[in-house]
This record gives sequence, C-alpha cells and structure tokens, in this order.
Amino acid sequence: MKLAFRHAFVLVVCAFAIFPILFVVSAAINPLGTLASTELLPTGASFTNFGELLTSDVYPFGRWFFNSVFIALLSSFASLLLSMFAAYAFSRMRFAGRRVGLLALLLIQMFPQFLAIVTIFMIFTEVTELYPAFGFDTVWGLMLLYLGGALGVNTWLMKGFLDTVPKELDEAATVDGATHAQVFWRIIMPLVTPILAVTALLAFITTMSEFLMANVFLRDPESKTLAVGMYGMIAGDRRNENFGMFAAATLLTAIPTVSVFLWLQKYIVSGLTSGAVKG
Amino acid sequence: MRKRALGVAALTTLALTACGGSDPAAAPSAAPSESASAAPASGKLVIWADPNRVKALAPFADQFGTENGVTVEVKEISKDNQQTFLTASQQGSGPDVMIGAHDWIGNLVQNGAIEPVSLTEEQKAAFSDVAIKAVTFDGQIYGAPYAVENIALIRNTDLAPDAPATIEEMVATGKKLKDDGKVQEILCLPVGQKGDAFHVYPLFAAGGGKLFGATPSGDPDPKQVLVGSEGSVKAFGKLRDLGEKGDGALKTSITNENYISSFAGQKCAYLISGPWAMGDVRKGGFGYDITPVPTFEGGDPATPFVGVQSFFVAAKGQNKTLAQEFVTNYVTNKDVAKALYEADPRPPALTEALEEVKAADADAGKFMEAGKEGMPMPAIPEMQAVWDPFGIAEAAIVKGGDAAKAAAAAQKTIDGSLKN
Amino acid sequence: MTPDPREAAETRRAPRPRRTITTAFVVSRIAVLAVAAAILLYAAPPLIATRSWIGLGVLFGATAVIGYLYLTRRYVPAKYLIPGTVFLLAFQVFPVLYTVTTAFTNFGDGHRGDKAAAIAAIERGSVRQAPGSPEYQLTTAMRGSDLVFLLVDPDTKQVSLGDAAGLSPLTGAEVGVTGKVLRAPGVTVLTAPEAAARADEIAALAVPTDAGAIKASGLSRAFEGRAALAYEEGCDCLRGEGGPWRADESRGYFVNAAGDRLAQGWQVNVGFDNFARVLTNPTISGYFLGVFAWNSVFALASVAGTFALGMAVALALHHPRMRGTKVYRIALILPYAMPSFAMLLVWRDMFNRDFGLINQMLGLDVDWLGGVTTARLAVVLVNLWLGFPYMFLVTTGALQAIPRELTEAAAIDGATPWKAFRQVTLPLLLVALTPLLISSFAFNFNNFNAIQLTTEGGPFPAENPQVGGTDLLITYTFRLAFGTGGAQFGFAAAISVFIFAIVAIVSAVAFRRTRKQEEVYA
Repeated sequence: MKLAFRHAFVLVVCAFAIFPILFVVSAAINPLGTLASTELLPTGASFTNFGELLTSDVYPFGRWFFNSVFIALLSSFASLLLSMFAAYAFSRMRFAGRRVGLLALLLIQMFPQFLAIVTIFMIFTEVTELYPAFGFDTVWGLMLLYLGGALGVNTWLMKGFLDTVPKELDEAATVDGATHAQVFWRIIMPLVTPILAVTALLAFITTMSEFLMANVFLRDPESKTLAVGMYGMIAGDRRNENFGMFAAATLLTAIPTVSVFLWLQKYIVSGLTSGAVKG
Repeated sequence: MRKRALGVAALTTLALTACGGSDPAAAPSAAPSESASAAPASGKLVIWADPNRVKALAPFADQFGTENGVTVEVKEISKDNQQTFLTASQQGSGPDVMIGAHDWIGNLVQNGAIEPVSLTEEQKAAFSDVAIKAVTFDGQIYGAPYAVENIALIRNTDLAPDAPATIEEMVATGKKLKDDGKVQEILCLPVGQKGDAFHVYPLFAAGGGKLFGATPSGDPDPKQVLVGSEGSVKAFGKLRDLGEKGDGALKTSITNENYISSFAGQKCAYLISGPWAMGDVRKGGFGYDITPVPTFEGGDPATPFVGVQSFFVAAKGQNKTLAQEFVTNYVTNKDVAKALYEADPRPPALTEALEEVKAADADAGKFMEAGKEGMPMPAIPEMQAVWDPFGIAEAAIVKGGDAAKAAAAAQKTIDGSLKN
Repeated sequence: MTPDPREAAETRRAPRPRRTITTAFVVSRIAVLAVAAAILLYAAPPLIATRSWIGLGVLFGATAVIGYLYLTRRYVPAKYLIPGTVFLLAFQVFPVLYTVTTAFTNFGDGHRGDKAAAIAAIERGSVRQAPGSPEYQLTTAMRGSDLVFLLVDPDTKQVSLGDAAGLSPLTGAEVGVTGKVLRAPGVTVLTAPEAAARADEIAALAVPTDAGAIKASGLSRAFEGRAALAYEEGCDCLRGEGGPWRADESRGYFVNAAGDRLAQGWQVNVGFDNFARVLTNPTISGYFLGVFAWNSVFALASVAGTFALGMAVALALHHPRMRGTKVYRIALILPYAMPSFAMLLVWRDMFNRDFGLINQMLGLDVDWLGGVTTARLAVVLVNLWLGFPYMFLVTTGALQAIPRELTEAAAIDGATPWKAFRQVTLPLLLVALTPLLISSFAFNFNNFNAIQLTTEGGPFPAENPQVGGTDLLITYTFRLAFGTGGAQFGFAAAISVFIFAIVAIVSAVAFRRTRKQEEVYA
C-alpha cells in the first residue's frame, strides 16, 4: 500500500521527465520532421531522419559521435582523478589555507566568464605555436582545457562524502605501516565508489554538452563534437529544414550518457559502508 | 602488484619521453607581430567558413593550392563566427580568408581585422550593383561578394492564384481564406517575442518608416537615428493595424522557428522569406510563386534588406598576399560562384553566374527581381544598437501597444547606447 | 638510573613507524624523475628555438619545484593538490584575473589592439588608387637575387619593369595571351608556386612613382596608389584627408577638429569609468535592484525546487522492497542526459502560444512567454525539469553513504518515517550536499543558457527595451555589453565584478553558517 504510493509518485515524476523527450522522439521519426507539424505522440513511424543523419555528407555524424565519446570519456576520467586527489587532501589533511582553498574553489566557479574565450585564445595561440600537438584543432588541447574545470563542485561533493568515512580507518592503517598513498588507493577509494561513479557520470554529461570551447577549438568538420555539430545544424535560418535530423541527433546524443549511467549504476547503488563500519 | 603498477608507469613515461624527443618540435613559426610586415609565409592558406559552405569550397581550395604550390585548409566554425574571428585574429591565430555577411564589415574594419580588396573595374562591373554597394565601406571595397539574398513574398498559388498588388489586398485574401477554413493564419511573417527587424523592414519602409538618415554620399548616417521620427511612428501605427489587435496578420507566436514550416504545411498562404526557405517550400509539394513584397495603398516602396555574403581578407593573417590572390582573382570566377550556389542556393552576386543559374532555376531570378530596389543592410557598427530595440518595439506594437510610445522608447534606447 | 629516561624517550618515539626505503618508494621516485625529464625534453626545445628565455626559466623553475615536491616525503597535501590546481590556475583563475584587469580598460570592438595596429590599419585602409592609372597585370621575376615586378598595362599592352628604384619600360618581353609575361630579357620569370613562396617579398616591394607607389594586390595584379592618411610621430597625429586627426589617449580614437573620429581605435586604460558607469547610468542602476531581486528568486526557486523533487524521488526509490528501480532511474536521468541546449529550444517551442505543445495539450491560449508572470513560471519549470535529475543522482549517492542501521534504529525507537527523515536522514544528507546546494545556487544565479535560449530575457515592456521580465543580471549584462555597437568587454568585465561580488558574499555567508554543521557531523 505504501509501496503503491511510492510507485505512483515516481511514475508521475517520470511522466514529467519524459514528455518533452517524447516530443523529440515524435519529431525524429516523423518523416516531415518540422517543429510546427509534430504532435506529442509519434505519428507515422519512419526512420528517414535517422538515415539522412547517418549518411549525410554535410554532417559527419558518426565522426562527431566518436569524437564526443572519446573526449568525454578521457576527460571525465582525468577530471575524476584530479578531483579525487584534491578532495582527499581537503578532507583528510590539515594544512594552512585549507578553508580558504575550499571556499576559493566554490567562488571561482561563480565568476561570470565573459572573457574566457579571449583568454583561451591568448594562452592557446602561444601553445599552438610552441607545442602544436596540444594547440588548436587538437583533441588533447581541448582536454587540457576541460581539466581546468576538474577542481570545482565535484571536489566538494567528494570531500563531503570522504568526510563521512571515519578517520579511524586511516589511523588504523597508518599504525599498521601504510603510506598515505596506500591509504588512499587501498582503503579510502574503495569505500567511496558511489560518489566516484556519480562524479564520473556528471563530468561525462557536462563534457558531452559543452560547446562553447569546443566550437572555438575544433574546426575541422571531421573533428567536431556532437554538441558543436548539432549547433551548426540549427544555426541561422536552417532551423526548420533540419529539425527532424536535429531531433534524431538529440536522441542519439543521449545514448552514450545513458549507457555510461547503466554501466555505473551498480557502483552508485552498492551500499559499501556496511563493511567498513561493522569492522 | 604495486611494484608492477609503478613499473608500468615508469616505462610509460620513458616511452613518452622517446615520443616527446622525436616530436618535430623544430621550426615553429615565429610569433606574429602587430606591425605591417607580417610573419614569413608558411605556405598555408587558412579559410574559415560556416558549416554550410565548407564542402562546396573544398575542391576550389584544393585547386588553388595545387596551382600555387600551397596547402589550403578550409575550417569550419559553427557559432559566433564574427566574434571568434575577431578574437582569434587579434591574438594572432586567425585565418587568412574569412567568409561572412557584408554587414559585418563596419565592425571588422573598426577592429582593423580586414583589409581592402582591390578589384579591377572589369571585375567590379561583373558583379551586380547592389552587391558592390554592399561591400563598400568608407569608399573602399572590403570584400569579394559571392551571393546576394533578400526576402520576397512567396505565395501558395494553389490557395491564392493572383499576386497581391498591395498589402491590403494580401490581407483581405488571407482573411477570406482563413474564414473559409483553408488556412490557419493570414500571413507567415516571423515576429516572436523580441520582434524581427529583418523580416518586417519592407512593411515598415512601406509605411514610411526609416532607420537612419543619409550622409551626403548616400550611406546611413549613424548620427541621425530616425526610429522615433514621425514617419516611423506612422509606419509603426500601420504595423499595429496589421497586428494582433487589428487584422491579425502579424502575430508574436509566429517565430523564426515555425514560420517556414507553417507555410510548407499550408497553414498560411503567404510567406515573407528568402531563398533559404525554398528547400522546405518545395517539399510542401504545392504550386508557388515569388513576387516582390507589396506596399500599402499609396505607400512608399517596400524595400527589403539585401544581405551579401562575401569573402574577406584578414589583415592579421599570415599570408595576406595569397589571401588577396584567392579572394580577388579566384573567387570572382564563374565556376566558383556556381558551385557555391549549388551547395547553398542563394543567388550569385556575379551577374554571369546569375544568368546561368536563372536559366536553370527561375526562383533565383525572381528573388533578384524582388530585391532590385532593395537596400543593403547597414554595415555601420552602430546598426548593432538598432536591431534589438527596434524588434522589441515591433513586438510590443504587434501585441497592440501604443506606436508612439514604443517608437520613442526605442529611439531613446538607441540614442543612449550610441552615445556611450 | 639512566636507562629509565632513555627508555622513556624511546617509548615516546615508538608510535611513529620507522620509514624504510621500500622498492615501491624507489620506483615511484624514479617515475617522478622520468616524467620530469620527459616534460623538459618535450617542452624545452621549442622555447629555445624561439629564444623565449623567460618561458624557459619558468619551465625549469616549475619543473624543479614540482619535482622536488614529489621527491621528498614531506608536503603530502601539496602532492595531492598540485595536479588539479595547476589547471585551475591556468584556465579558471587566470581568466578571472584577466577579466578584472580588463574592467579598467575600454577593451572591445574598435579598441581591441594597440595604437600601432590601429595606425597601420588606418593607413592601409586609406590607400586610394591614383586616378587614371592603369590596373597592371603583375608577373613577378627575379633579377639576380632581387625581386622585380613585370607590369603589363592591360590597355596599351606595354611592359614595364618595377623595382625599388622606380618604373622603367621594358622591351623584348614576351607576353602571353592571359596578360602574363612569359619571358623577358635579363630576368627569370617566377612560376606561380615560386611566387607564392616569396609572398612576403612581393607584399613588401613598393615601386615609387609620382603619384605614390605601385604595390602588388595578390600575386597577379598591381595598383598604383597612395595612402590618403599618414602618421606623423612629431605631432602624434595622422595627416591627410579630413584634416589632422589627433590621437585622443583618453578615449583611444583619432579625432579631428570637427569632432569626427576614425573608425579604428585602440585599447586604453579608463580607470574606474566602467565601474562608475554601472553605478551612475540610469538605465542600469535604475533597474538593477529589480533584476537582482528576480535573479535571486529564480536561483532560490531553482535550487529549492530541484532539490525537493530530486530528493523526494531518491527517497521514494530508496526503499529496499522497491521494484523496477533500474528502469525508473534511467527514465529520471533522461532529462539530464539529453543535450541541454537542444532541450531548452524544444521547451521554448512548446510554450508557443498558437503552435506550442503545452497550449495544445491543455487546451489553453496562454501567451506563456509574453507575460511576465507566466514567463517566469515557465523558466522555473524548465529549470526544474533540467535540474532535478542532478539532485536525484547526488541524493541517491548520498543515501548510500548513510548506513541503514541508523534509520532502522530510529524506527525501533518508535520514530515515524517523517521524523526519522527529519532527524536522521536529512541532516546527514545536508552535511554532504550543502556545498552542492550553495554551488547550485551560484550556478543558477548565473544560468545564462536557461534564460537566453528560452526567453532571451523577455518579455520586454515597450517602455524599456533593455530590461526584460525574466532577465538575470548576467543576461542583462550580456545585452548591455554586446548588444550595442559591438562588444564592450571592458564594460562587461566591470559588471561581472559586481555580479561576482554579490554572489560571492552571499555564498561566503552561507558557507560560514554551514561551517558549524560540518564540525558537528564530520
């Protein structure tokens, strides 16, 4: 009975979450795919839009897909590592400037970055000259740029969770002769896999939708990411002509994210603290 | 296991060292300086375009490259092309050739980002007058035009067989069709919540409205903003009569996103749009005709804005000579113009190419006809300050607001921002 | 007697474990050295080649410091913080500092470069073709080791040779049908690729004539012309048509006696002008409070709404006997998985009065985005849709960290589920999530996309086209700075500083309050 209420509530929220997506689905499979002529429920199922998208000359969707997933996977993994290290230091260690550093991390994110593009150009023009492998038009340069955002809210999130892991565990291990690195990798990290998984997923999603920097960095049609490519599809007056394809692209873009989520689900929901606390 | 992990790490770093060492880090191009003598030629020409034109340009870029022994790269920027170009150029990593709209010219020139393009008299004569006028700023030609576009009245001949002579006639026919249930809307002209100055300008001009006064040489004079003048207030008044509280021909719910597809879906009989709409219109599968936008009864000519797409030579590029060569002597030939037309159907600026295209595609010719009395969009930087306030005034008026008040507010805002 | 103090001293030292040199330690240190060497090997040569000694110094210095940090046993916190901080400094802190310094300049369109660049652009733009002069066809050639121009007059077909000394007629040249010189005595004609390789020399060569100079335009044409404006250092002005244009250092323009100015300007320092403008300009300061109020409401509503909904759903699914959680979870994160800018545009179209889905489904005729209250409701709803999956995710993760024993214990003690939630679960959740809430507030306070892509800040009253009903400070700034006669970065930077000050103070205050929380629970 109580369970039924839970189910009902969750179903309502799911409906709320899904209905705009249903709209996109119906636009994607509507062969006339234009915005004014779509209804909520799909009418006329046809995969022409998908077909056009995947075989299009002007929009190398397959390449975009690969680029996006590649960049997102690598950069989210790297961001996770950097963030993890910093969170561990903030949580477990006491050093001068810890409080200030934490606050600073939060505050820096709040500054409106209008001039970010200008500074990116300033930095990367030099980099492109000296080290072309990490400059404009390279995936590695873009990933370096994304690493700039590694230390931010996610660090806070992880620090918060690390704080809930009792310090006695660390101390016990240290007494047994473990170095700080061993404590980090062997004891602490396994205990916080849920939050690592969540952070990885959040970083992945953020990177997949990022388009301001990618637009400026990746200029070959073949090297673009999904977000940039899709924006190009609707820029200017061509919005309507391509809406069916755009809707199809939107749906396909969600697939990597959902897959990563499925893969990480088991980490998110495995209540692991039971082992440590009981002991 | 830890030792193995560390060993692997050490080996990887050694491998990276080896790679790093053999990297061709030699001979980087010297830092570009701001002075007139730019960096030494690096044998590479970089062109920036938007996604629609990259594919069309590629073969010609390659051909130019082979003929002159240089590599030509065509790159694509999806969004914020003008700002990205300016920022990149300023920092020294911009392209050599840029493709954009002519109304960027004022802003590009004031930032020292583009150089004048020297066309011979013969070349100038090969382009249509309006195209050359559009790319001229301060007496100099700053771009090589390749496509001209303007809006016209596209009508569904199945529903409305005759071309309307005046706006009143068009509205009357549209109303009748709506009453008969054959269409949903009288006119598909995008307004949106923020208005759309570009599409409504012909009607505004027809009603006697003006944006700027004119300098002695005929260019728009940024010191005389006439959005709040008597003529403009009258014009706004006429728009109000066409709006939601009047005839219902102009509505804020018709936006850039849905106006073309509404027409293509036969929800309205008249569409005011440009060549970019033809793809969807043809998909609609009905008969259509393209005529100039009509004026009011006894009104002024309904001058549409003309937009000219052109090639620019970047002033801070690495290879200005090659860029000039490409833009002035290569792009101005007929085949390139036709190829660009095929990829992105906007009427070519080159008269010869236009003639050939007209023979195959009558629509292009009709658009040109409609744009014959057109006015190039003002390229002066001050125009930026006009779009938004004008649009908002238009939206307010379409919703039934007071024309004089809205015009005055727009005038005040524009004056305020230009003063600064 | 004496052994006792010694023993006491030893026992006092005993708790600290002796650090032995293990293999792991050696290998890790070697790895550090290897990485440092690799970085130096890769990064140093280009710096040396371009003679950037400062850069080289910085590189060596940084590598030395970081290498030292990783080699010693000490400075443990630094070891964990350095990697992330390096990138943070380069890509987040540097832009902030740059923005703050820019606020004191007039950097923007028309003032992007320095004065020399402006002068060069003005002079280049003022070159006018000498009236009546022929439009030469150009062929480049080498005379010995010097580059020369072979100019063919298209009307008279006469060939002349142009070099640094001037123009002289040339006889005996063979001209092709296209107007290019095929052969000429005393010079070797360059092929197109050869000419392209010498593009800079070609651009630099100016053949002096009476009416000015002949310069190449591209590789195959040349014109005789003269710059109408020329810079004179003595008076710091440009002489030529329009009268002497004096440099106005306070505004960064060249101005003449009549008050006109040349288009190309340069970047100058304007001190506190931008800040003063923010505070004194009536169109800005008058509406600032109103926009700020709505901005705060929007951010608070977004955070509260998304948190409430996300947490509610997470709790609903957290029951051990709940079935189908996997499927529900996927459905619930879909809004977050879809590309946000695409969905914002979709939502905007759904709110269209005549053609939008919402009015069609509910049978209404509401002009959602046209009325102030309805537009505000709309954006909050859209933001709720976009944001609740994030809160759902982090709450789910946080719930895993709360041992079930605690809630079970509360239940055994007779607490109702609501009480258990309020006294046990919620406080623990808040410990972990408060920073996130604060950060979400800050993110939504500056949530440019959510407003710009749906309403663009509108609806706009006719009386004031500058400020819309759903404008945030950041969209308002964006319009002020970029909507008028080109980008005004300096002005935008000044407003950014103000916005930041507000948000930072609010967040810092909130942070201080939660400090007490952290000490109690962590």
